[in-house]
Amino acid sequence: MTPLSHYLIFSALLFSIGLGGAIMRRNVLVVLMGLELMLTAANVSLVAFSRAQGLEGVPVYDAQVLALFVMAIAAAEVAVGLALIVAMFRARRGVESTSLTSLKD
Amino acid sequence: MSTINLISTSYTWEQFTPTFVLVGLALLILIADAFLPRFNKKVFPILGALISTGLACFTAGSSASSLFSTLACAATAVCLLMAYDYRKLVYASVAGGEHEDGAAEFTALPLLACAGVCALIRSRDLIMLFVALETVTLASYAMAGYFRRNQGSVEAGVKYLILGAVSTGLLVMGAAWFFGTTGSFRGDPRFVLAALCNPHLSAGILVSMGLLLAGIFFKAGAVPMHTWIPDVYQGAPTPVSAFLAVVSKLAGFVALLIILLPFVYLRTTVNDMMQGLIVLLAVVAAATLLVGNLGAIPQQNTKRLLGYSSIGQAGFILVFFVTLQPTIISPVFNYLLAYGIATLMAFFALATLRMQRGSEDISAFRGLGKSNPRTAFMITVSFASLAGVPLTAGFLAKLSSFQALVSTLIRPHHVVHWLLPIMIICAASGFYYYFKVLRAMYWDQPQQNDAPVTFSPLCTAVLTAGTLLLIVLGVIPLLF
Repeated sequence: MTPLSHYLIFSALLFSIGLGGAIMRRNVLVVLMGLELMLTAANVSLVAFSRAQGLEGVPVYDAQVLALFVMAIAAAEVAVGLALIVAMFRARRGVESTSLTSLKD
Repeated sequence: MSTINLISTSYTWEQFTPTFVLVGLALLILIADAFLPRFNKKVFPILGALISTGLACFTAGSSASSLFSTLACAATAVCLLMAYDYRKLVYASVAGGEHEDGAAEFTALPLLACAGVCALIRSRDLIMLFVALETVTLASYAMAGYFRRNQGSVEAGVKYLILGAVSTGLLVMGAAWFFGTTGSFRGDPRFVLAALCNPHLSAGILVSMGLLLAGIFFKAGAVPMHTWIPDVYQGAPTPVSAFLAVVSKLAGFVALLIILLPFVYLRTTVNDMMQGLIVLLAVVAAATLLVGNLGAIPQQNTKRLLGYSSIGQAGFILVFFVTLQPTIISPVFNYLLAYGIATLMAFFALATLRMQRGSEDISAFRGLGKSNPRTAFMITVSFASLAGVPLTAGFLAKLSSFQALVSTLIRPHHVVHWLLPIMIICAASGFYYYFKVLRAMYWDQPQQNDAPVTFSPLCTAVLTAGTLLLIVLGVIPLLF
């Protein structure tokens, strides 16, 4: 059986890739992908911990319930995010985050 | 005021009555908008405000949860009244002003967000906390970008979405590690203590607390997760900025209370780790105070100014958390109440100025002292309360923040004495930047073509009620 630490390292890597993408990429669509990756990484951790905390092969389902909620919320976030990106594209003809400069000190 | 009881985690349906009512109302409004085309759409915000005022009265009580629910529902009601006052711009944003479209969603979204806040206040475990917090946040993204033809509003929405989603990711990861180390999503102090004392798990729980705090600092507007606040407040429609400044901030601090509660119980047990947590919170509070108050000084746009002001005020609230005492719930509530009333008044007056003078700069307040002396006085009271002038509620709120810090200094092993001079500098700089608005009202000459501003009866009524509350709470210390 794969030990818990493998799942956690995989999850941490995925999370870092997502966070790096969200911070460094300029295209807002790609940033949104990075954000989804962060939530997916958290889900991997949740399910792995849910197995590890369980006794005799029965996982603690609390964490898996949260994973389901996270999926639902991630979907809602993408829906709102894509709507905002469409509005941004209509207003500016582009989805580069570097063009978001009308609000500043 | 009783403390939030964390050990008992059973939920009852009755606790969530406000949430169900608000969600039901929001759905009804959306259905009515779709299927009753002749229905007068002006009624929606008024209806929403009435029902949330009713809920505020219904939930009123002496427990901490009911006080926070009352404040959230009442502030939502004021924001909806502001949306009603602001309706011309709302219609213009959706259909170029030809139809009265867009009023329904603009009413339903704050109601849904308020439903999330009411659920968050009752949440006692991380699953509920996360879902409730995301309900607030998702509705807020759509609200911030609501004026989709307006570059500023769309930019505010996109910025809020990106930064907010990063903080959501941190929060979920923190929740996962909290579960992994303590075996439960409840912040039960016994489990937390067991994890802290286990050398294999103590690093994990520190990671999880760091991630959870980073996620929640975003909502509360604390440094280093504060960067969205000035931009989003400036770009979002004014009623939405008011909503974010008051209701969403309240959600952030309630979440922070819930997360830190196990550590309040443990503050005398694991001494080294608690000292570390206290120093961390003190550093965050100091940075928040400095960034908010010093950043506000050069601002010319009133919404940006109020954004930095909300960061600065969050710093004063964070000072309560530095003490990690079980008694902080009531001063935090009182501070949020004084801050909320004054901020809502300022945004309400600003919404009227935006519609009639077409500007949100501080200079839009010019000459109000001569043309509208009564309203100018009420705006003066609201900004004076934000600055902390004696005889207003804001003064007593700031005073209690100082008292909380000083009371920790007299105890042995205090580590945060350096916070006091920072608080003094920041409180003093508040007098400078809030009074820029007063200077514009009383000393700047009106321009030649300035028509006197007519404040609607609704706006005047809200401002009068707010002024009375601020002065009564400031003169008769009922709360503080």
